[in-house]
Amino acid sequence: MIELNNMQFSWKETLILNIEYFKIEANEKVFIQGSSGSGKSTLLNLIAGVITPQTGDVIINNKHLSTMKSARRDNFRANHIGFIFQQFNLIPYLNLIENIILPCKFSLSRKEKALKYSKSLEEEAIRLLSNLGIKASSVLKRGVSELSIGQQQRVAIARALIGSPEIIIADEPTSALDRAHKDAFVKMLFDECEKENITLLFVSHDESLKSHFKRCISLSSINSVKPEEVE
Amino acid sequence: MSIFNLAFKSIRSRKTTFLLTFISIALSVMLLLSVQMIKKEANSGFMQTISGTDLIVGPKSSQIELLLYSVFHIGTPNTLMEYKSYEKIQANPDVTWAIPISLGDSHKGYKVVSTNENFFKHYSFANGKKVEFTQGKVFEDMFHVVLGHEVAKKLNYEVGDNIVLSHGDAEVSFVHHDELPFKVSGIIKPTHTPIDKTLIVTLHAMEAIHTDSHKHFMLRPNKKSQEHNEHHDEKHESAEDNEEIHDEEHHDDGHHEKEFKENISHKLAKKLKKLPRKISAVYVGIDSKSAIFGIQRKINNNTQEPLSAIIPALAVQDLWDFFDIVQITLNIISVLVVFIGLLGMLSLILMGVQHRRKEMAILRSIGATPYDIGKLIVGEAAIVCAISIGLGVAFLYVALFIVSQPLYDTYGFYLQIQPLSLQELAILALIECCAILISFIPAYQIYKRSLIDGMNTQI
Repeated sequence: MIELNNMQFSWKETLILNIEYFKIEANEKVFIQGSSGSGKSTLLNLIAGVITPQTGDVIINNKHLSTMKSARRDNFRANHIGFIFQQFNLIPYLNLIENIILPCKFSLSRKEKALKYSKSLEEEAIRLLSNLGIKASSVLKRGVSELSIGQQQRVAIARALIGSPEIIIADEPTSALDRAHKDAFVKMLFDECEKENITLLFVSHDESLKSHFKRCISLSSINSVKPEEVE
Repeated sequence: MSIFNLAFKSIRSRKTTFLLTFISIALSVMLLLSVQMIKKEANSGFMQTISGTDLIVGPKSSQIELLLYSVFHIGTPNTLMEYKSYEKIQANPDVTWAIPISLGDSHKGYKVVSTNENFFKHYSFANGKKVEFTQGKVFEDMFHVVLGHEVAKKLNYEVGDNIVLSHGDAEVSFVHHDELPFKVSGIIKPTHTPIDKTLIVTLHAMEAIHTDSHKHFMLRPNKKSQEHNEHHDEKHESAEDNEEIHDEEHHDDGHHEKEFKENISHKLAKKLKKLPRKISAVYVGIDSKSAIFGIQRKINNNTQEPLSAIIPALAVQDLWDFFDIVQITLNIISVLVVFIGLLGMLSLILMGVQHRRKEMAILRSIGATPYDIGKLIVGEAAIVCAISIGLGVAFLYVALFIVSQPLYDTYGFYLQIQPLSLQELAILALIECCAILISFIPAYQIYKRSLIDGMNTQI
């Protein structure tokens, strides 16, 4: 569950976000549409607890992020939120498996949850990959840079999913993919979130993906700061 | 995967980028350590060479010069001292013992020292060790020779072999004292001092071969005495035209003869049994330590003959004071090279900071704190420096291993390969600390950057 309450955020004395109220229920899948420069990234950083609003509250799973210290927020993020970015999601010097299990190194609770499914983290990574249609044996030992972008994005899903965080935030995850891959990617992400009861927050400027979601919101409709006022 | 593990993998993926940094830090570490080690080893080697000798007396010269030729057989004395002076020194009631030594001849590049039986009785090295034999014994005959360990080993001599000495220092000498061959009576145990590389003969014999080479005996070697020689040395044959040198067949001066035949020259020399008029230096042992300075002053102020008396321990120290300047210079250079290596590492890491904002954003999204990210950078620097240090130490030992034998062969300087001392380990730890310290610069930068960047990845 994500709840924003009377939240205002300014950067260098320019108001970027001013959201009176916005809530995503647990297990909801929400599409947030916003063009670049509309404050999308800032919103995601706020929800993740990387930055804090000057006023108002960010409440994740009934926890007020603004009352936490920054290291505590980092830990909270590690425990409860999985991220998928646009591209280059992976750490170049780690192999595929190491990339997937990385969140478990920062979060004990996700490690414990991952170990409920499999005997080892490596096995869990392989299980997630095969769910996503990647035959692990063929790519296991390869460097991540040798993977196709489509494969890389699926590895990114696996990393977001490992240890079943309550929330997955996907930030333009499909922009580097072609049409056919985009739909397949979104469907795959949906299926996995469904299975694990994960709340999905999907942010994109691409309206063609709207059709997959029951709830679609335009950032400009909840943010009272108009995009042209923002750099 | 700890942050350290992450740092290790990050460096491993960029090992070619860091190759030059590894090498430059490693070389500087090697340089720094080798300066330390060689100084230490040389110091102990020098200190070990002579012990128990309280004074060295020679013709008037600088103390380092006298020390170098009399103890280390480096260089040759320009002047000689009277044998009479030796007798006077020995007669001094405070003098416990005195060993005359005379230098100047050689055998296949190895120095010949002539002395008397006092040498074997009193000379000591490495905190009081006396000369001991692996084979044979001290010379009993005037034409016996005692070999240093290395001379015997390298030239493959055994007790009973006959050898011919050459005049002068050069490895290839055309003037051989071949009418008066010597018989090997003993081989000395390894001492790791210049003794290993010397042949020791009696003063009488030395005098005899020199008298003879000046034809004072008016005797020519007769053909019969050499008819059993089978080896011919082309080098020597080519020198046959030289009328000064013998017109007969020359034999290889290193040939092995089990049977030592005394020829007429030997017999005559023994009959004359002349002592040299001049010698190179005298080693003096004095039991009463308080008398040393008095005797030294007395010798230095001697009016009959200009002499120098030096205290070996102090002279060695003086020598080291000179080498200290060299060492300090080398140390400054190697510290600078270490510093340059570390700066190279710093600049590589700083360049990486810009390229790695994306990677940092991913780590942040996964739950890494900005502090973790700073730690990653510090960890990388620590790993790079540790690997370089390891590499440097490896380089050092390979170099020592390669260099130790030629060093010994050429300079007689025995470099003992030892593990790193505490002091050297402390130096290495200091370098590592410096690397970690300077990595705080990029670490702080990336820390601040990741606070600002957060998870913004569209950079």
